[in-house]
Amino acid sequence: MSGLTIEMLFPEVANLHGDNANIAYLAQCRPDAEVVRTGLNDRPAFLDRQVDLLYLGPLTERGQLKAIDRLQPYRRELEARFDSGGLTLFTHNALEVLGTRIRNPEMGYEAEGLGIFELETTLAMMGRYSGKVMGPVAELPDEQPIVGYKSQFSMVEAAPGVEGFLTAARGIGRNTSTAVEGVRRGGFIGTSLIGPLLVVNPHFTRALLATLDPDTEPALAHDEYAVKAYVERLREFRDDRRWHPGERVQKPIASR
Amino acid sequence: MRVLLAVWAAKLTGALLRALGRQGTHVPGIVARRIHPGIIGAVQHPPRVVAVTGTNGKTTVSNLLAEALLGEGMRVASNRTGSNLAAGIAAALIAAVDWRGRSRADIGVFELDERSGRLVLPGLHPDVLVCTNLTRDSIKRNAHPEYIAWILSSELAPDTTLVLNADDLIASSLGGEQNPRVHFAVERLATDPTTPVGAALDAMTCPDCDALLEWDHWRFNHIGRAHCPSCDFRSPEAAYRAREIDADGEYVVLDLDGDARQARLVNDNIVNVYNQIAVAAVLDVLGVDRDRIVRAFDTLAPPTTRFASERIGDAQLVRLLTKGLVGVACSRAFEYLRSFPGRKAVVMSIDEWSERENEVENTAWIYDADYEYLVDDSIEQIAVGGNRRYDQALRLAIAGVHPSRITTFESETAPADHIDVADADVVFNLHSVHNALTTGDRVQERLRERLAARTGERG
Repeated sequence: MSGLTIEMLFPEVANLHGDNANIAYLAQCRPDAEVVRTGLNDRPAFLDRQVDLLYLGPLTERGQLKAIDRLQPYRRELEARFDSGGLTLFTHNALEVLGTRIRNPEMGYEAEGLGIFELETTLAMMGRYSGKVMGPVAELPDEQPIVGYKSQFSMVEAAPGVEGFLTAARGIGRNTSTAVEGVRRGGFIGTSLIGPLLVVNPHFTRALLATLDPDTEPALAHDEYAVKAYVERLREFRDDRRWHPGERVQKPIASR
Repeated sequence: MRVLLAVWAAKLTGALLRALGRQGTHVPGIVARRIHPGIIGAVQHPPRVVAVTGTNGKTTVSNLLAEALLGEGMRVASNRTGSNLAAGIAAALIAAVDWRGRSRADIGVFELDERSGRLVLPGLHPDVLVCTNLTRDSIKRNAHPEYIAWILSSELAPDTTLVLNADDLIASSLGGEQNPRVHFAVERLATDPTTPVGAALDAMTCPDCDALLEWDHWRFNHIGRAHCPSCDFRSPEAAYRAREIDADGEYVVLDLDGDARQARLVNDNIVNVYNQIAVAAVLDVLGVDRDRIVRAFDTLAPPTTRFASERIGDAQLVRLLTKGLVGVACSRAFEYLRSFPGRKAVVMSIDEWSERENEVENTAWIYDADYEYLVDDSIEQIAVGGNRRYDQALRLAIAGVHPSRITTFESETAPADHIDVADADVVFNLHSVHNALTTGDRVQERLRERLAARTGERG
């Protein structure tokens, strides 16, 4: 394959929590990659040309509503992309844009999402959740789990059968009563984890690069530091003393 | 009666703490709020109340304001020696009333933690609220500046007069249409670019039409002056403006609603120029005579800075607070570091150990900080210490720092032993908040010893 094309959706508003480093790092791993930055008032590039990876990062609450508004006309194209295996990564609360509904009672709105996934999101603006997450993913052996962080107002409820990105061995998933974290469908991965995901999980990034371009041996930028940082973090995340009670999955009230 | 009970209990608690020689200026406030959760609103306020909030500069502005008002002969109630959370403000309000609950102050100046607006503003009901700026802060606590603006705006009474930073499109949008408001700004500097750069860029789009804003001048994050190329939106006009900043001559021109006067420059750091014009704006809003506003700056002490510099032989040793967990604060520290002339060696131990010991860790802030400021030929060595040393080294490498300039050490103090000080003109000790008194002090001592030895060797 010739150079990769990575499209960042709405980076002028979807840029919180340092998460755009996902793409900055990927672009350093593949210096030949073209990064297309699609603004709120631009037509997304993936509609008209080959885009190898489509990315949407963390948004403000207002930004979420704008993203829904801008992507609504392309709901079918997004769904077709996911189902045809077009690699797509949505991090933090970007995933919620693709669900059926976002409720934010404190800010006084309830908005319909794109409805691609049966997910309902509820925000608690005075109850921000912060925690760590560690869990295996299909792309990697169990001894190389994903590690990451959550810092969010939202909790997500999914309909039965919505496949997760990972199942947390430690930490919570989509909400405090499930270990199932994020969503996968075809080429789509959505996760609330920040870190940034692709920087703090070099083995996963290598696997993603291999999927993006099977003909090229994946090479990580600054791989020595990236792997050492991962090993050190994993060592600490495996230590029970590092986990607070609030980071555990709670049983649903009905089943207690 | 419950109000008086709360006042008495708080005063007794305060007296007991003082007798025991203990700190804890907010403890009386905690006691009072236990007895009367609404004590901030129930206790008698001074006749006028000013609240000072914002991400950066609120301590400086509230201290300068209090000093200036004391200089006006007023009795000033303030929390400047205590906490800026609800308990600290309750304690300060109670300290300003007598045992019968009657206010003894002419005016209250209260620094307010911006995240605590919900607990404080409904009761405090300030006559004037000044917001210095709203930039990104702790990801875990403050989320993003729009969130903080929403908290503050939700709790502001419509008759509170707002004194807002016109060069901050988020802070300048605080409040509702009914709120009387004035704006302050720092006029364009020759060094200001027009293109924003960095990781933490908020308010980049037009709030009316979502077009990408164009910047008349840009300073950092979303601080600067912008307009929309597609509609009429632009940064608000400021009635209070600082201009003609002369660092060498130590003066600045303060334009007070069309009345320009030369004043002593309290501090030449751009953030402190904003603080100075904010203070002038508030004093003018409070009706202080303009000649006296200008004269007040003659005697106001420069704000406490978060760095210390000492010369050891022909080298400079600079200690710089680099607030881990807050990417924006780190960016400012890195930018400042780069501005020093000469060859630089940097000890960087900016992990917040409290993150791992007492809280839930989240290191995402590293990518909200602009380590790119450290990519400079004059920054010849960066020695990183601490548990997250490889994360820091990775971030430096991603920024573009050549790997040959980066070394890593598990210990937070070991970099001070190993960094090469032989040829450095400036050696930096970057530490975070919680390790300032532990490893930060030890690093400082060790670097001082080594630079002194270097001086001795050179005779």
